[in-house]
Amino acid sequence: MLNKLLFRNQDSRQLVIAMIGAFLGITFLVTSIHYLIKVQEFGEGSDVLGPNTIVVQKKVTEASVFNLSKTDFGEEAIEEIRNLPFVSRAQPVISRGLYFEKDDNKVPVDFGTDVFVQTVDAEFLDMDPNKWKWKEGAHHVPIVLPRQFLVMLNTYAASRNIPQVSESLAKRIRFKLTLHSTDGKMKESHEAYIVGFTSSVPSILIPQEFMNYANTKFSPDEEQKVTQLMISSKDGQFGKVEEYMNEHGLESAESEMDLSRLKSIVGTLFLVVIGISTIAVFVAILVLIQYMQLLITRNLYEVRTLMRIGYHPKDLVKKFFVYFSIIFGVVIAIAFVSFVILKIWLDDMFSDGGVYIDTNLSMWSFGALALAYVFFMLSSFLTARKGIYAEY
Amino acid sequence: MPEPLASINHGEDSIWGNSVDLKSAHRIMLNASSGKGKTTFAGVIYGLRHDYTGTVTFDGVNIRSFTPDQWTEIRKIKISAIFQDLQLFPDLTVKENLLLKNQLTDTYSEMEFKQMLQQLEIENKWEQECGLLSMGQRQRVAIIRALAQPYEWLILDEPFSHLDVANADRCLSMIHERTMEQGAGFVLTSLGSAHDYEYDYELKL
Repeated sequence: MLNKLLFRNQDSRQLVIAMIGAFLGITFLVTSIHYLIKVQEFGEGSDVLGPNTIVVQKKVTEASVFNLSKTDFGEEAIEEIRNLPFVSRAQPVISRGLYFEKDDNKVPVDFGTDVFVQTVDAEFLDMDPNKWKWKEGAHHVPIVLPRQFLVMLNTYAASRNIPQVSESLAKRIRFKLTLHSTDGKMKESHEAYIVGFTSSVPSILIPQEFMNYANTKFSPDEEQKVTQLMISSKDGQFGKVEEYMNEHGLESAESEMDLSRLKSIVGTLFLVVIGISTIAVFVAILVLIQYMQLLITRNLYEVRTLMRIGYHPKDLVKKFFVYFSIIFGVVIAIAFVSFVILKIWLDDMFSDGGVYIDTNLSMWSFGALALAYVFFMLSSFLTARKGIYAEY
Repeated sequence: MPEPLASINHGEDSIWGNSVDLKSAHRIMLNASSGKGKTTFAGVIYGLRHDYTGTVTFDGVNIRSFTPDQWTEIRKIKISAIFQDLQLFPDLTVKENLLLKNQLTDTYSEMEFKQMLQQLEIENKWEQECGLLSMGQRQRVAIIRALAQPYEWLILDEPFSHLDVANADRCLSMIHERTMEQGAGFVLTSLGSAHDYEYDYELKL
């Protein structure tokens, strides 16, 4: 009866327009937040190096060929790069050569080769830092293997009719790393095992401690020049790293940069969509709140009379608050269903285009829905309270 | 003294500018010509108007200090009112108008309401929208609605202005019975006619 009294004779057209506005805004907001998160997560887990991480070196020019300019990084240059606002971390990459071979009878293929190894700090790796440690006397050396290396190995195995090795199987194989002095007189072997794979770096990665040990023991007189840096950019700021690299004559493998560049562009696009959607949701909420004010104004006589015959103003506030909370709840529910349908369609589209992103729902999307609902409820409660108590 | 009436000369025995006590369980008549402040008086003691000087107390407490919680409680179980402009909901039926009030205190059953309507000879209006009733019929609905709650005081602001003598008598009889039954008092404002009703004392304006 109270509902019939207070919510009759509404301008349903205005209400429907406000609901459609809120529905579109929320749908786009949730969708764009979901895909922004998924784009940021894209590539994570498949590579032990973070998705925004690249290895840079100075461009080799004619001047550097004739030793007129340096190709190594000094302490000051490294520190400057570390302090850039769009760089989350930067670390020198130290390199040396060693002999790498299989040390496991379970694998029916023999191989051994001189390889180039480089160091990487645990902070660049997407793994438990305790697994990326080595100290003198340790039984095993953890290594990260370039995927290209495994591909080459499998190509070789296929040509010899030997079973190929998957990534998970490769992690269970024991390898041997043999350190040797420049003149070949000193040799020392260590067992190694793979803890992850990378597509970003073409060399085998080893812990810094093992590199220090090897260099100190086998090449104590060699000067260590830093010719490469490992850099991680902050999310969505890869464009600034590229700009800095161009301005300072730095380069990196294009393939390494593609994913970061793509993520940065798509992330920025989604951020723009999020911004527009947030404004749309805010405007739609504003229209709904104004509609509530209009409804209260239209029902001033009823509101005033109800309070005169003994209705408590807070009961009337509750009526308006609950009514509009249900309306917005329905909008949110419809928007969520639409988002799920849109997501299925977009996921298929991405999949057809060869982009396999995680299809699980992002908690941030739910968070955005909850935040929009809480904001609306708070606004509607305060508006209803102000409108009703003003008539008391 | 209500601010709109401050510029008017009031008699020495007028309640405006004097102290007056509404004794509980008494029947009080407020008989004055138009514009003397009968509705204003009813509005002040019912907490609808605050544009006055002086102090109004209820059970010893200044009514200006009452919170919405307190006024709601007072209007629900201590003071009931029949407004001069009736304050019915024209788009709701007689039944809905009565039940909307009744659901606050669950005073009467639907059957009792129908009996009261019958007593006032409008039982056939139960399902009719109030906006379609005559003024006299609306006044009778408003009277029944005001009785549908417990009260210590009933304020009647010219409740019979559109009723003939026979209907006014029936309404008075119903009001008297209900008020006596609760040991309550009432304040009846009227434009000159006392409707032959016995009252305990009269207030001048």
